[in-house]
Amino acid sequence: MSEIATKSILTELVSGVEGQVASCKLSQESEAFLAETGIPSKRHENWKYTNIKRLFDNGLTVVKSAFSEQTSVLKLTNTISIGLTNDAVTNQLPSIDGVEVFMADDKTELLGSTGIHQKEELAALNTALFQNALVIRVKKGTNLSSTILLDQKVELKDNAFANSRVLIIVEDGATATFLHHFHGTENSDSSLLNHVTEVFVGQNARLELNYIQEIGEGNLMTTTEVECQRDSNFTTNCIQLNGKLLRNNLNIRLKGENIETHLNGFYMLNSTELFDNHTHVDHFEPNCTSNETYRGILAGRSTGVFNGKVFVHPDAQKTNGYQSNNNILLSDEATMNSKPELEIYADDVKCSHGSTTGQLDEEAVFYLRARGLDEFGATALLLTAFAGDVLKAVSNETLRATLEQKIQDKLNSMRA
Amino acid sequence: MSLLTIKNLKARVEEKDILKGFNLTVNPGEVHAIMGPNGSGKSTLASVLAGNPNYEVTDGEVDFDGKDLLEMAPEERAREGLFLAFQYPIEIPGVSNVNFMKSAVAEVRKHRGLEPFDAKEFLAFMKEKKELVELSGSLAGRAVNEGFSGGEKKRNEIFQMAMLNPKLAILDETDSGLDIDALRIVASGVNKLRSKDNAFIIITHYQRLLDYIVPDFVHVLYNGKIVRSGTKELALELEEKGYDWIKEELAEA
Repeated sequence: MSEIATKSILTELVSGVEGQVASCKLSQESEAFLAETGIPSKRHENWKYTNIKRLFDNGLTVVKSAFSEQTSVLKLTNTISIGLTNDAVTNQLPSIDGVEVFMADDKTELLGSTGIHQKEELAALNTALFQNALVIRVKKGTNLSSTILLDQKVELKDNAFANSRVLIIVEDGATATFLHHFHGTENSDSSLLNHVTEVFVGQNARLELNYIQEIGEGNLMTTTEVECQRDSNFTTNCIQLNGKLLRNNLNIRLKGENIETHLNGFYMLNSTELFDNHTHVDHFEPNCTSNETYRGILAGRSTGVFNGKVFVHPDAQKTNGYQSNNNILLSDEATMNSKPELEIYADDVKCSHGSTTGQLDEEAVFYLRARGLDEFGATALLLTAFAGDVLKAVSNETLRATLEQKIQDKLNSMRA
Repeated sequence: MSLLTIKNLKARVEEKDILKGFNLTVNPGEVHAIMGPNGSGKSTLASVLAGNPNYEVTDGEVDFDGKDLLEMAPEERAREGLFLAFQYPIEIPGVSNVNFMKSAVAEVRKHRGLEPFDAKEFLAFMKEKKELVELSGSLAGRAVNEGFSGGEKKRNEIFQMAMLNPKLAILDETDSGLDIDALRIVASGVNKLRSKDNAFIIITHYQRLLDYIVPDFVHVLYNGKIVRSGTKELALELEEKGYDWIKEELAEA
């Protein structure tokens, strides 16, 4: 494919790309992929309930943001903070023992080596357009006791489009905890932040990757592509609090034996918010466990989507795969679309999945009221407990307490 | 002044009339037993008094300590000092007994104009009440009723009652499903909480519990009304003869 032809696909999709695209193999591959697929519409099975194409049809313009010094809005202890702009650029590179942190401005490094840019449309667009990537390499055997906070303040005006990119490498035998906090209160509902994180978890390594997503009226698309090597342990917890449209694509590939992975999510929606979680776990090798728990509370006229797939390949005998999605609807006008999926090609596995969507247990509410709690207090207590099953996987105690408070705040806002 | 006065109470659930003109007066210091065959309306009475929204009151008045009980939300009734020990206590995963009771006690104390407990006071208070019903420490720390045996759930109800110190406690078939040891523990808890200022309504199917909690009055509820009242001897007579003779007498009348 000629360079002129491939450039044109980007200019067809978004404005402001001139001079933004480096001519390199990674960009060319991304553009070639995009030229074939375009931006997915609701006719696409993976995008049945979530209309992201509308934002592109409405017009998006690539913006670059300048870095300004910032302090985290979270009050967490035992944390090393890295302040990021819309497109995940920082000049606050901390120095951490056993960890290498840098901005990569070329696309040759390990970036793109998961191949995500040739599998998913928005990740391909990100790969063609991102300017700098934040790379964090936790070196072999390093045991990091602090949480690394990626503190990304999102501020996108009308029709603004930003692409941020992160690469996390946890080398063999290393242990680390990350929190990626997307936050902003001033985002336009016609803007879009398109983020990609690639993750490599080495042999015997352990990684906990937490997300908090709260971007006001804005739209956020995140793609997380994870590769785990044998004997590793990967946990991810995603808490979605506000946004007009939040879409998470999470793909985890278990590429060795004896890997354990936990995928947890908690989402709380109100008004016309739409939050969509798509997860995909590939079991390639024997004796691995994947355990998925996604829970949500939907109020107002909000829409939730959960699509979780566990794919057990022929060699992956003795796989343990568990998946559950539970939702509570607080309003007659809220909608949840839940689709847990198992696809199994090995014959000696233990897998289960389940999905429930219902209302709050009225008998339980009455029981609590009969002990003196008012209706809101009873409801809040039950919903907080419902979230608790997901939050218990968050290891940093101050983070867990912060999340509990944020959930309480959102409940209070729903009361009004 | 009486603590509870129920006049001509009529109530229905799912379009079916259950209570059909129920009258009862309870004074402080009294224990009333309400007995009756299945389907006579015993549990409906308990649910209506506690304010269960699934039951519809169609007529009648209920005065509780000088206030109109039927006008109050369930939580107001609890704060005013009415307590229902549930026949089937609800399991609430994820909410610990301790946190539940902390919230409930705080609400009730606030309503009664009492200073909130500090953490240390609360724990001491809870320890005292736990001992009253021989509730083990591990049960108190667990999620409300989750994985409890039938007997443990009923003991947990009496524990909650002790924590909230109500003026009027309604025990809805608290004896059902209890073995003799659990029955003794529950009864002894109730007896320790009895005083001249509070009152109990004990709803039961069998006379057995009344050997341990001796009532001042026994009423027979049949077809939504009290058809006979007496003292503890009435309970013994019912135990011996069953309910049929009352039904027959009513049919003859």
